[in-house]
Amino acid sequence: MTTVQANAVNIPSSKKGIPGKPPNYKRLSDDDLFRHSSQYRFWSFTPEQLEQRRIEVNAQAVQSIEQDLRNFIDARSTELNEEEIKTIENRAVPVNMEEELKLVNLYAKKVQTIAQRLNLPTEIVATSITFFRRFYLENSVMKIEPKAIVLTTIFLACKSENYFIGIDSFCEKTRGDKEQVLKYEFPLLESLKFSLLSHHPYRPLHGFFLDIQAVLHGKVDLSYMGHIYDRCKKRITDALLTDAVYFYSPPQITLAVLMLEDEALTTRYLELKFHGNDTNQGNAEDEASRGNGNVTIQLDKLMKIVTNCSKLIEKPTTVPVEEAKSIAARLYFCQNPDDLLKKMKKRKADEQDSSVPVKKPKTE
Amino acid sequence: MSQVEYTKERKVGEGTYAVVYLGTKQSSGRKIAVKEIKTSEFKDGLDMSAIREVKYLQEIQHENVIELIDIFLAYDNLNLVLEFLPSDLEKVIKDRSILFTPADIKSWMLMTLRGVHHCHRNFILHRDLKPNNLLLSPEGIIKVADFGLARTFPSAQEILTSNVVTRWYRAPELLFGAKHYTSAVDIWSAGVIFAELMLRIPYLPGQNDVDQIEVTFRALGTPTDADWPDVSFFSAYNKLQIYPPPSREELRRRFIAASENALSFLCGMLTMNPQKRWNAVECLESDYFKEAPAPSDPFSIKIS
Repeated sequence: MTTVQANAVNIPSSKKGIPGKPPNYKRLSDDDLFRHSSQYRFWSFTPEQLEQRRIEVNAQAVQSIEQDLRNFIDARSTELNEEEIKTIENRAVPVNMEEELKLVNLYAKKVQTIAQRLNLPTEIVATSITFFRRFYLENSVMKIEPKAIVLTTIFLACKSENYFIGIDSFCEKTRGDKEQVLKYEFPLLESLKFSLLSHHPYRPLHGFFLDIQAVLHGKVDLSYMGHIYDRCKKRITDALLTDAVYFYSPPQITLAVLMLEDEALTTRYLELKFHGNDTNQGNAEDEASRGNGNVTIQLDKLMKIVTNCSKLIEKPTTVPVEEAKSIAARLYFCQNPDDLLKKMKKRKADEQDSSVPVKKPKTE
Repeated sequence: MSQVEYTKERKVGEGTYAVVYLGTKQSSGRKIAVKEIKTSEFKDGLDMSAIREVKYLQEIQHENVIELIDIFLAYDNLNLVLEFLPSDLEKVIKDRSILFTPADIKSWMLMTLRGVHHCHRNFILHRDLKPNNLLLSPEGIIKVADFGLARTFPSAQEILTSNVVTRWYRAPELLFGAKHYTSAVDIWSAGVIFAELMLRIPYLPGQNDVDQIEVTFRALGTPTDADWPDVSFFSAYNKLQIYPPPSREELRRRFIAASENALSFLCGMLTMNPQKRWNAVECLESDYFKEAPAPSDPFSIKIS
């Protein structure tokens, strides 16, 4: 790490094996290990794969909702008039894939808010968000409404992260319904493909944070580092609400976050890390390749990945409240066409008797 | 993947949170064990041990860690389909009709440490290593099992419970009630298991938690600030009887069949100071594994 050490152990850079080890000696790299994790095996995608998955989940739900609506109309073919049928056909339209995503994003944010209000450790907030978003890669909001699953994801995330809160006290704090929370635990676990361990970018942040101070020793202000550490943590939590988590590994997300926070510092760190400077070039190269099973990452390739990742992280996932409300309303009418007809009748009655104030239907 | 694929034929065990059945995977005829988690009895939903078991076994695929073949839900119960493992090291140690050699012990230690190393490099602490949790496949392969107490490596600020690991295999830092500890606790357990394999009786059989401290330090010496800085700050430390560490000669007399390298290997794992204790890689690279006799071929070891 320090220059003293660098001069003392300046190993000749001929990479002909390690002394005392067999010539074919190779340790598994961290990348190799990550590729065996459930996070990589089940929850990492290319953008095309991810979109395909969302399209499929949506299409299946649309199909079954449309069938339900047809059945609803058929069963009442004698009672319903043409106008009512038209209303159902026009207003009870299943939500599309983009709209589903917007609802999921909205509620993922709610998961974050509630988990933070419970004062849960950052990692558990992160796991809650992760569980919730993964659930809707397997299920449609039209099948299980997001509101129903919010508390269950937090409850399971706590248990999974070794932070046990009993159901009674959990429901007291969240004003949740015990039976409702527990009812969805199994479906949630199953949708998560029984994979509960999530690697979040906070650990890599801690690692990079220490390494930046080592590599830029004496050239970086410590209180400033502490300051950006906290800001990066917040940025990471926000990044967990984006699709970056499906395309990039946790350390890549961390680097992207660092880059957004202080581009000059991060670039300088990476350049030193990869190419060193004139005085300790050999050392820096050793550092970059050490522990990676002799895999040397190319700096320009890494920079490209990190830049693309930060673009994705920066894209806001927030949904305007009005839009979310209107999506939620359609979702409700799809599932409860009866209420749609009641509402229609009521509005008609109101129009005839305009002295009665129009009351908004309950859509949530 | 419903019940039809897996049959439960015979109940073979019952623990606090699960019932274990022997069964068959229908499509392949493979023998399996089904661990049925009792869910209805827990008012807080899924039991923590079950969650841990699922969580960690999902991450680990290794020759020396029990394989989680499948998971399914049936009748509101969670079922873990595990590979069928007919024996374990505890049974082997206790069965006086089984004779085993130093080469056999070396083979078991090698397999155990490979499994433990794989957990550690995936940042997972087992926290309950003991002969009873080192299962043996029909081919004689050791499989680390029971991840009901496992957890990921803690971050620096996290407070842990020291009430882990079955008493006889508990590392000194746990006996002291440390709130922060590392993968070194698993290595200690491995060391005690190694001693037990050589002696064929439990090495540090404390009768209760207080006695465990006494038994451990009588055998291996009471740690001091000199070799474990600040160990005397533990609140449990001041009432301690100070025993000197055993001399090499005493260890030779206790473990008569052990070579010098075997003794160094043992001492590496049973180092009081967790920071100086050997890690899994140091254990695996020790001279003990390089000297004769070579570890036995697992299949050739007679275990029943």
